[in-house]
Amino acid sequence: MTAAGIYRPAPGATPAPVTGPARGWLRLAWLYLVSRRAPVAAALLAGFGALLWAALHWHWNVAGGPAAQIVIPLVTEAGAAAVIAVTTYGPFGEPERATGRWLPYLRLGATVALTAAAIGALAIGSTGGVLPGGFAALARNVAGITGVGLLCAVVLGGMLAWTGPMAYLVLTESALAAGLTTPWVWPARPPLDRGGAICAYLVFAAGLALVTVRGVHESVRDTAT
Amino acid sequence: MTAISAPVRSASRQAPQVAPRNMARLLWVELRHNAIPLVLPLIAVIFWFDSYRIAATLPPMWVVRLYYILGQGHALIDFAPFVAGVAAWMGSRDGRCGTGDLVTATVRPRWEVQLTTWAATVIWAVGAYLVFMAVTLALLGRAVAWGGPPWWPVAADAAGIAAFASLGFALGACFPSRFIAPVAAFGGLFAMGTASQIGFSASGGWALILPTMSNGNFGQDAGIFYQWLPDLPIDRVIFAAGVTVAAVGLLGLPVSAGGPRLRRSAAVVAATGAAAAVAAVTLAFTAYVGHYGTVIPALHDAANDRPVPYTPVCSHPGIPVCLQLAYRPYLPDVTTALRPVISQVTGLPGAPARAMQVAALFAAGSAVSPNGVGQILTLSGSPPVLSMPLGAIALPGSFGADSSSFVGQLKVEIVHAFVTPGGSYGNPAQQAVEAALLQSAGIPLAVQPSVLGATPWPLMSGGPRTAGRYPPPVAAAARRFAAMPAATRHAWLAAHLPALRAGQLTLGQVP
Repeated sequence: MTAAGIYRPAPGATPAPVTGPARGWLRLAWLYLVSRRAPVAAALLAGFGALLWAALHWHWNVAGGPAAQIVIPLVTEAGAAAVIAVTTYGPFGEPERATGRWLPYLRLGATVALTAAAIGALAIGSTGGVLPGGFAALARNVAGITGVGLLCAVVLGGMLAWTGPMAYLVLTESALAAGLTTPWVWPARPPLDRGGAICAYLVFAAGLALVTVRGVHESVRDTAT
Repeated sequence: MTAISAPVRSASRQAPQVAPRNMARLLWVELRHNAIPLVLPLIAVIFWFDSYRIAATLPPMWVVRLYYILGQGHALIDFAPFVAGVAAWMGSRDGRCGTGDLVTATVRPRWEVQLTTWAATVIWAVGAYLVFMAVTLALLGRAVAWGGPPWWPVAADAAGIAAFASLGFALGACFPSRFIAPVAAFGGLFAMGTASQIGFSASGGWALILPTMSNGNFGQDAGIFYQWLPDLPIDRVIFAAGVTVAAVGLLGLPVSAGGPRLRRSAAVVAATGAAAAVAAVTLAFTAYVGHYGTVIPALHDAANDRPVPYTPVCSHPGIPVCLQLAYRPYLPDVTTALRPVISQVTGLPGAPARAMQVAALFAAGSAVSPNGVGQILTLSGSPPVLSMPLGAIALPGSFGADSSSFVGQLKVEIVHAFVTPGGSYGNPAQQAVEAALLQSAGIPLAVQPSVLGATPWPLMSGGPRTAGRYPPPVAAAARRFAAMPAATRHAWLAAHLPALRAGQLTLGQVP
């Protein structure tokens, strides 16, 4: 007997779910998001939004110049970006890349969705008070720093991708304290500044494109350390 | 023969040596597989940009150059968040990789294995910090001509990094997840930001334990005229070590960490660490600001109160002027400031016979007073000596000051010390005479509000310190007095200076 003649499931087996293309897509997307711990990431993004709300509502501030004034909003924005960058790590590695032909679309969709969720969560959080720079600066900063995180994920891997936003945050604070106004330090620019926006969204686009097409760097260190 | 009757075999003599050797091998494996080295290049870039780059532009004195790095804790701010994040990652390894059950079932207690990973992480983090600081101090010290760096604050920061690493590790071990690293890192940064805020505004109490708190303990002429007081850094080391030990002890509390005896030991370790941290905070409450820095009576060594002997460097701009050797680069500026003022007051009663630098001392609060706090130049003694606490003035290259502003501020302080005893603004007559003398010393009346803005006597008009102006009657009197011939002015001062200094003259009596 060979398997060639078998076309029916074994007696007692659970029948395969009858699904259309749309439900199949949704299931695939959901499985992808779960494998990237997107639900936990969403909860953390909501937490950063709550932190921003509390900081603005109770007027937490750091004494000093422009660097000190935006430090708490910037920490929440960079923290949200770090969380998004860490979600790019995939636990399946080669098998997933070999079999998942929709993988680039899933990466793109998940990253864009999480970035939008981060902006939304922080925008809601900003209702707690007056956010320096307003929504335009918030969206620009989150997108740009997320781009830094995605680029870091491409180079260092998803597990260490948080170091990019963290490093950008510290460097930005130092640059602000020193009075640097290059558009690459976009949090230092006015909310509607064209140069800052171009740099921020360029970095986001570059990070998004690389993560979508190439995926993140995978190293044995991701699991061995 | 049964097992009961079999002779008991003595334990192998080599057995006790196996465990330490295995632990050393395990530590070596953990050191090789640790993740801290992965982020060291990034930390190096940040440390250079945020700490070294700024410190290298500051005046060549240890206390000034290290104020930003050690006094305000920027070295720790640059290191701690990354170390906390990576340590959390290392601590969460077994949980992330799903090997928790596997390692729990091995012959070694779980706590022991975790301690090896923790030790490797701390060794990498603290070792990297010490190497970075050694390189930084070597580079910064090339231009420093006097004294040495403060070692206790370096040790306090190293202990702080160990504490952050330990807290991050414990967090990762308790909540293993891919997100624990960024949460620990950003939590660490948030904590450091909050500590900076408290450190800037607080003046004492428990806040002294924060590594970002520099008020009353880092600055002035520490390490130049007197020694660095180690009291507070020692207290901070105790606090950080206590936090570290408590975090390590917490790792051994879960059931999976080992047997009851080991867990009891872990509880004792955690309690000891917590007690040390609490003791350090308690000691901070007993601290007070002495002349040479923050004193904690229980940790204070009276030997640290001895002044540091030195050979002064001198010049002669009309009178002998001597500075501490560390201030040699500023002797030309001091000479430039003194010469035009001394030339106007020579021969007058109370004119300084010589000028010498004195130590800028620590003081509680920021009140300006003639004696004691050392914040302003004073004239005292017989023959009168101009005492100059230059360490209380922003030196060229620091805090936005340049040579011009330094010379200007010195001129103001010298004239003020001569005309108005004490730290008060002086009455209108004194203000007018001071303004005239300053104009003759090369600071035009129109520029004086800007120069005075950087001194303890800004012309207040509700706006910025540098945007004030003299009251019109004072300005008019100053113009009149400055327009008089130098000899006439000198003669009037010779006749009226005692009354002017005593505040007995009115504006109308100024010619």
